[in-house]
Amino acid sequence: MISLSKDGSAAVELKGVVKHYNEIIAVNQLDLTIQAGEIFGLLGPNGSGKSTTLKMLLGLVTPDSGTVNVLGVNVQKDPVSVKQQVGYVPESPRLYEFLTGIEYLDFIGDIYGMQTDEKKNRITEYLKALQLEGREGDMITSYSDGMKQKIALISAFLHRPKLFVLDEPLNALDPRSARIVKDFLQELKTQGVTTIMSTHVLEIAQAVCDRIGIMYQGKLLALGNMKELREMSKLPDSGLEEIFLKLTGTGDTRAIVEELSK
Amino acid sequence: MNWKRVLSLMRVDRKSGRLIRGQKLTRYRENLFFAYWPYWLGSIIGLVVGLITGLAYNSAFASDLLGAQEFQQVALSLFFSLPTLVLIYNLVFTMLQQIQKSGVKVSSQVQYWLPMTWQEHTLASVLASLLGFPLASVFFLTFSIVIFSFFSGLVIPALASSLAVFAAAFMASTTTEILRILQVRFIGAVYKSTGRAAVWVRFIGSLLFFIVFYIFYFYIVSGSGALSFIQTIASAQNSAWFIPFVWLGLTLYSLAGGLLLQGIIFLALSLVFIGALFMLATSLNKSFGLYEPPAITVSRGIYAPKTGFLGRLGFSLKEAAIIRKDLRAFTRRRELMTVFIVPIVLILVPIMQSLGQTEAMPSSISFFFAAMTFLFPASVMAMSLGTFMMGEEGQAVWRIYSSPLSERNLVRSKYFFIVLFALIILVVTGIFGALMYHLSFRATSIAFFEGAFLVFALGAVSLSNGIKGADFTETPRPRMIRQSTSLLNLLECFLGGLAILAPFVPYLISSIISGFVPNLSITSFLDPYIVAVISGIIASALTVVFYRVSMGNAKKLLEKAEI
Repeated sequence: MISLSKDGSAAVELKGVVKHYNEIIAVNQLDLTIQAGEIFGLLGPNGSGKSTTLKMLLGLVTPDSGTVNVLGVNVQKDPVSVKQQVGYVPESPRLYEFLTGIEYLDFIGDIYGMQTDEKKNRITEYLKALQLEGREGDMITSYSDGMKQKIALISAFLHRPKLFVLDEPLNALDPRSARIVKDFLQELKTQGVTTIMSTHVLEIAQAVCDRIGIMYQGKLLALGNMKELREMSKLPDSGLEEIFLKLTGTGDTRAIVEELSK
Repeated sequence: MNWKRVLSLMRVDRKSGRLIRGQKLTRYRENLFFAYWPYWLGSIIGLVVGLITGLAYNSAFASDLLGAQEFQQVALSLFFSLPTLVLIYNLVFTMLQQIQKSGVKVSSQVQYWLPMTWQEHTLASVLASLLGFPLASVFFLTFSIVIFSFFSGLVIPALASSLAVFAAAFMASTTTEILRILQVRFIGAVYKSTGRAAVWVRFIGSLLFFIVFYIFYFYIVSGSGALSFIQTIASAQNSAWFIPFVWLGLTLYSLAGGLLLQGIIFLALSLVFIGALFMLATSLNKSFGLYEPPAITVSRGIYAPKTGFLGRLGFSLKEAAIIRKDLRAFTRRRELMTVFIVPIVLILVPIMQSLGQTEAMPSSISFFFAAMTFLFPASVMAMSLGTFMMGEEGQAVWRIYSSPLSERNLVRSKYFFIVLFALIILVVTGIFGALMYHLSFRATSIAFFEGAFLVFALGAVSLSNGIKGADFTETPRPRMIRQSTSLLNLLECFLGGLAILAPFVPYLISSIISGFVPNLSITSFLDPYIVAVISGIIASALTVVFYRVSMGNAKKLLEKAEI
């Protein structure tokens, strides 16, 4: 396994983490360190343990064994202080649909203890940036999936956390908003904010992430930047898609396509 | 019309119940006997009832031919009124099914991209609404009358009535389908046009709808109301011949009376009417079936100023935010609004039962109703809110799990909400009770205290169970608490309520004895205020214990937080 070592403090540290769902092993002996100020991409086929790993960072899933430290705090011991410093967007964020967009964000601001003026300014700013102005007073139930995703993203950004845990953050976003989110994450990175994101869109991971971890059947198969992943997979000129398919053993897609098209 | 597709769609509806029952979907093996148990049970009970009635008929009228003929006339008039009765009952029950589904868009969403016609979808929807109690009751009725008819010699009228009963059930469900689509369309248009007032229009409109619905429901299912209702239908059917819904009953009536031509005309009209209803339902579904919720603009630029009033009450910013959010949930989510209906219905029931009574109530009965008005609605409110408060988060509960909230924040905010609303109900129903039953100041004040004690204690008991057994499933309908925990909560609240009211038992005994021995008073040495204080101590102890249990349960919930 290749690992990138950087100077500076670790934002996230997982040691020997194991998680079972009945007989299924979702995460198997996972060791992972992510440095502060990194944009880290967690990739893997469906059911490889990505979402479970991300949830463990917030204490939303308790590991059966091993330790999870986030921003220097043991998640099991003090989940509230970890959550205070993290912005989270789940894979399919269900929002309170009976609230309006602005009421939802107002609620989030209060939950994270923001001052009224600060909250008001930031909500206005984000709504404008993601083109939700004019619809903020409508009930969320009438929003499209993309608009709901924007609200979920704003709710993660609002309190300016030190760590983002984003599961498929660009789902359903229009190209402009997706670009804004990507650039915003890059900008925050320069301020030392860490981002951990899971995505199936490999182009996004390749373009945005400093390092990528590829999970398969609960284990971390590979870890490193693009150059290191190419070396590891012995595919020097390939993109992330070829590397991913080769490493996860799902590369023989041609035969499947031929079989399907018969 | 592809019947296979219709059956498949209906099967989806029936299987949606698995989610509520919490069955392991990956290992689900359908046992057909258990899957269709309501219909087996309805048929078996019908068979037994028919058999017992038939045997009783045989033994009672074996040598009494005149009596047998009279009984047959009564049975025939019941057979003729059955289609109309079934129609009305099924209108209520299929509407109940629709109300239960109304909170969840997902289960009622038409999968329009599949290769099916609107006729198939409409038929499946109409038939699926009949699944469960409506259809089981139809099986019960038809089996009862057919088995009974073998003993009474009324086989042909019973078979004809059975067919008409199935047709009436279909007619009821089709009418419900039409009303459902119109209601969605009409209400959507009303919300859109009312703009910012839409939330309140929805809240008050829903309350009114439920109140009218439940008044009607209690009227036709409760004691004398039900009997007079059946009698009215039996006698009024002929005079209401111009109403298409009674044509099925009139067909039977005409055929049995030898009016062959009239019977055939009504039969033809009935079939045309059922067909027309179905076509109307299909065309409405075609036009408005793919419902998009209207964009309701509620507010612009409202930001809560820190904690505000709630802050002055000692709540933190986080707690105040949850309370405000829950307040909006209970005034904007239809499935939660029902909480406010129950206390109103509990007041309406005794009023409806006392309607038409010319004699004044005995004082002991009047006192019982007064006590019920004070204690029951507020207690039920505290219990309902307690059990719903956690589960109502639904699938959005990840927000609570992933936010920096402690168990203290969660329990304080949820408990405050329960107590606040239950106390409001106590004040409203208490004022109503005091005025209606002319209570003294002493009785009124003690009743208020007792109501408050029950609210605090039962609210804590229910919240502890509501957190422990929270059910965040939203499809096919939000349940909010697991059934087993709900039953346990009912038992705990019943025992808790008894413990709190136990110090008043001597007054109850005195009230019973005074009927037999007027001069004996066993409560003369008791001061009711002291009794109330003892009751308050018991309530406080229960409140403290169960509030702590709630905190423990909330801690476990947040720690586990498996989503």
